[in-house]
Amino acid sequence: MSDAGKILERIGTLPPLPDTVLKLIRVLDDPRSTVDDIVETIRYDQAITGEVLRLCNSAYFGLSRKVTSLGDAMLCLGTVKVMQLVMSVHTTNLLAKAQTGYGLDPGVLWKHSVAVALASATFSDHIKATSGSVAFTAGLLHDIGKVVLNDYVADEFGEIVRRVTEEGVSFIDAERKVLGFSHEQIGGMIAEQWKLPEIIVLCIRNHHDPGAVQPSNPLVDVVYLANCTCLMLGLGLGADGLSYRAHPEVMERHELHESDLEKLGAQVLIDLKRVEGMLVDDSRTDDRLQLTGSRQEGRSRR
Amino acid sequence: MDQVVDIADFAVSDDPRNTLVTYSLGSCIGVAIWDPKVRVAGLLHYMLPESSLSPEKAKANPSMFADTGVPALFRAAYALGAVKRRIIVKVAGGSQLLDDNGAFNIGKRNYVMLRKIFWRNGILIDGEDVGGAVSRTIRVTCDLGRVTLRTRNGECQL
Repeated sequence: MSDAGKILERIGTLPPLPDTVLKLIRVLDDPRSTVDDIVETIRYDQAITGEVLRLCNSAYFGLSRKVTSLGDAMLCLGTVKVMQLVMSVHTTNLLAKAQTGYGLDPGVLWKHSVAVALASATFSDHIKATSGSVAFTAGLLHDIGKVVLNDYVADEFGEIVRRVTEEGVSFIDAERKVLGFSHEQIGGMIAEQWKLPEIIVLCIRNHHDPGAVQPSNPLVDVVYLANCTCLMLGLGLGADGLSYRAHPEVMERHELHESDLEKLGAQVLIDLKRVEGMLVDDSRTDDRLQLTGSRQEGRSRR
Repeated sequence: MDQVVDIADFAVSDDPRNTLVTYSLGSCIGVAIWDPKVRVAGLLHYMLPESSLSPEKAKANPSMFADTGVPALFRAAYALGAVKRRIIVKVAGGSQLLDDNGAFNIGKRNYVMLRKIFWRNGILIDGEDVGGAVSRTIRVTCDLGRVTLRTRNGECQL
C-alpha cells in the first residue's frame, strides 16, 4: 500500500474522542445552548463529573467549602473554566504522547494545543466575532493531524527539512509534497470522521492558511492567529519551528497590531500556567502529563 | 545537573556541577552569561521586548520582557560575585515566521531591543545565533561557561 493509502487507513484506527466530549462540543457549538444544557451533557458521565469536582476541590483553588455538585462547580469557577478543564483533561490521551517525528516530547503537543485553545478563546473575545467556547475547542484540536502523520514525518524528516531549508517552502507545503498530505488536511479528515461541527473542521483544515477560506471566516482567523502567537512565543514548539507562512492580511482584517499579539500572548502564558497548575495539583492527572517545556528541537529517531 | 529555565524565567548559578538549559526558543531570546573568574553562569529566556506593554505583568514577572529581564539577570549574577567587564554574553533565538512583510516580527523586535540595552550599557555580545525560523535549545555550563546550541539541524558550540 502506498504511504498515502496507509495514512488514510491510520485515520480510521485513531481512538475516538470520549462520547461526552463530542456531545459537549456540539452543545457548545449551538448558540441556543444554556448552562443547564451543558450541565445536562456532563451530568451522566461519572468520570467527567468526578474529575471536575476533584479539580475544583484541589489545593490550587483553596476554596473554603467543598464543591459537591456540577452546578456548584460552575458557580465557583464559571462555566467557561469548567468546560476548558473538561476538554483539556479529556484530550490528554490523544495529545499527550510524544510525537517524535515533530520533535515533541511527551506532553508538549498537549501543552501547545491547550495554549492555542486558550489563545483562541482570548482572541475570539478580543475581536468580538465568535464564540469563545467553539474557538477553544477548535484551538485545542487544531494539530490533531500530527498524531496520525507523526510516524511518516519521522521517516521522511530529512527530505522535509531539506525542502524547507533549500527550497524555502513552508513545513506544511513540504509535508504535502513529500507525504501527499499535510497535518492540516489529515486533521480535517479526522474531525470529519468524528462528525465535529463544520466550523471546527474548517478551522483545523486551514489553521496555517486562513486565506484558503473564501469568504474569510473570523473563527478560522482566530485559530490561525492563536497558533502563530503560541509558535512565536515557543509554547510547545517542535522541530517544525516557525517554518510556516505568515498571513499579515488576517491582522489587517481585524485591525490588529503586533502589540495586540504581544499582549494576548503574555496573557496566554499566564493562563497556561494556571491550567498547568490546576492539573499538576491533581495527582492523578499529573501522572499522565509531563508539564515541563519542550525538551527537544532535534528529532529523535524511533 | 541540568537546571531548566522556563519561558519568561531566568536562573544564575555558581555550582560547577550545574548546567543551565532553556528549551523551545522561538521568537523569544535566550541570553547566556558567564564570568570566567568566579565561574558564575546565568541564563534568561524572555518573551517580549518592552515592559511598557504591561507594567503589571513586568512587575509580577520581570523575566517576561527584555528591558526588565536583562537587568534582573545581571543583578542576580553580580550578587554571586560576577563583574560586568568580565562577563561573556551569548545570545540565541529571535526566530520569525516565513514573513516577507514583517508583520509578525516579535523575534526581530526582541533582538533589536536587546542590542539597544547592551549598547546603552557597554556590553558586547560574544557569540550569537539569531533569526531564521527554527526552534532552539541553549545550555550553558557553570564550570567552563560552554554554551551549546541545538536546533533541528544539529548541535554546535556558540
